[in-house]
Amino acid sequence: MTKLNTAMLAATTALAGMAFAGAATAQDTWRIGITQNNVGVDSYQTTYESAFIAAAEANPNVEVVVLDAGGDVARQIAQVQDLIQQEVDAIIIWPTNGQAVIPAVREAFQSDIPVIVTNSNIAEDGFPFVASFSGPDNITQGRRAAEIMCTRFEDLGIQDEAQIVQITGQPGYTTAIERAQGFEERLPEVCPNVTLVESQPGNWNREDAQRVMEAFLVQYDNIDGVYSGDDNMGVGALNAALAAGRAEGITFVGATNFAVGYDAMGRGEYWGSIYQSPVDDAEAALQTALDVLNGEDVPFLNYFDTPKITQENMDQYDRPVF
Amino acid sequence: MTDSRAKALGGLLARQGILVAFVLFMVGFALWNPRFIGIDNVFGVIRSSAILGVMALGVTFVVIGGNLDLSVGSMMSFSAIVVLDLHENPAFGPALAIPAMFAMTMALGALIGFLVGYLKLNSLIVTLGMLSAIHGLTLAYSGGQNMDIANQQATWFGVFGRGTVAGVPIPVLMFGGLALILAVILAKTPFGRKVYAVGGNGTAATFSGIPRARVVFMTYLISSFCVATAGLIQASRTMGAQNTVGQGMELEVLAAVILGGASLLGGSGTVFKTVIGVLILGFIQNGLLLAGLQFYAQFVVTWVIIILAVWLDIAAKRGRLWSPIA
Repeated sequence: MTKLNTAMLAATTALAGMAFAGAATAQDTWRIGITQNNVGVDSYQTTYESAFIAAAEANPNVEVVVLDAGGDVARQIAQVQDLIQQEVDAIIIWPTNGQAVIPAVREAFQSDIPVIVTNSNIAEDGFPFVASFSGPDNITQGRRAAEIMCTRFEDLGIQDEAQIVQITGQPGYTTAIERAQGFEERLPEVCPNVTLVESQPGNWNREDAQRVMEAFLVQYDNIDGVYSGDDNMGVGALNAALAAGRAEGITFVGATNFAVGYDAMGRGEYWGSIYQSPVDDAEAALQTALDVLNGEDVPFLNYFDTPKITQENMDQYDRPVF
Repeated sequence: MTDSRAKALGGLLARQGILVAFVLFMVGFALWNPRFIGIDNVFGVIRSSAILGVMALGVTFVVIGGNLDLSVGSMMSFSAIVVLDLHENPAFGPALAIPAMFAMTMALGALIGFLVGYLKLNSLIVTLGMLSAIHGLTLAYSGGQNMDIANQQATWFGVFGRGTVAGVPIPVLMFGGLALILAVILAKTPFGRKVYAVGGNGTAATFSGIPRARVVFMTYLISSFCVATAGLIQASRTMGAQNTVGQGMELEVLAAVILGGASLLGGSGTVFKTVIGVLILGFIQNGLLLAGLQFYAQFVVTWVIIILAVWLDIAAKRGRLWSPIA
């Protein structure tokens, strides 16, 4: 709350200052408002917020109003309306819900305030009102995970008989759907003889993933690979396999490399993942907003790169902070 | 002779309708997929159910006492996060982290017990409020970060979630042992009878000299003790936790307790039946996974099976499948 007040105070002071300075210098400082999804619910979002504030502080031409919707759609809509009232120059939104926030986004659009969507995109109906989307490309993440898995199977010489299972994120959640889609599209292209025997959701929850993996281990005598929608669930699957004494022969591939996944890779238990940094995510969102405000040519889908990370190249990456 | 035997069988069915439903359901799934009743799978399911189950044991006391506890999910997240954090704190270590976590969790239980028991506030409102208050407390405590045990090989903390004794997983033993102790307390002690009395008719109980407030307070204390135990198993099993790990479990716990046959109005239910309720939910989840059913269909099928089980229970009690009067 203190942080929020300080940011608002700074923003209001800046506004007053600008009013006195006149229109000519007003463009020197941009006021950007952000409404986030649910800070504090996981380490990714917590790190994102601090990185965003740090990036804004490092840039003398930016004043930010940092808000958090606490996962509540109604509160987020009210926050967008507040930001419109405050006449910020641009609004960055991390949607709590891809569909429900569209009317608020349209309102901002009609008030000539550019809206930048960050991390997870809103539904397609809302695209006309959005200046740019900045975030990870989840379909590419899924495709890259399939490539990591396939390359590993080729190294092991089992690319013609391997059987794998998939543990997806929360059903209905865009990130979960897109990662699974990318993985399922790419796998038959690179490894046509690998069979994906079953997919079940682990709900972004390690305990759920562990339970699903236990059932898979009972059901299937041969599992050569597990693809999980994020490393948190991947480590749950790994725990189940370790408990059953079957982790040795299984290639675990995840996404959103968490510290636990990174450590498990260091121990040689977990094979690979996709490196997605909340710091990159936050910095890309701010940069996209600035590019839009400065009238630069910004692609509508402005992805930041999320590279492959495996046991072989992990020393090139820092241990994730979340 | 046959007539009296049939009557005895009918009586058994009437008393244990939910058990019969459970057996039918197990046989059905086993015929579908023989791996379902493999010893590894059965232990696996009971071990996964142990977390929900231990929580349900405590909530059984609260519900029989005529109250509700919707805060158990948040409270379990709290205890898991706290025990992991203290475990990583060099000043504590596992041996001190566990009792400290139990004390903190039970302090929350005591607060709820005080509000509902002594101040006689509505338990639905109090525990609904505590659901979000404790969630906030957990987030403030952890700063929103996931908690993980950094060096998992160097600690004996994993024993509660991953260990076995003579082939039986320790969570199963803890669930079973706690169920046994609580069953004896509820069925065989004066305190247990007071819980039924207070839940059945609070006013009558008070006039009979039963300290209603203290009994209600104790049910919440027992519930928070069970939640702390569940948090310990959870934290030990995954060696890490998100702030939201118990989110939504309060309703699953309540479903298990009610499915077992405890009345939401208080005054009836047993520990044994709650255990059956927990196992039904656990085995449904596992059975549908092994059947390879599409996830979206699982929601619907789970609901159908629960409705069938409750119907069988009711039908057995009144001796016919349907009745125009209650």
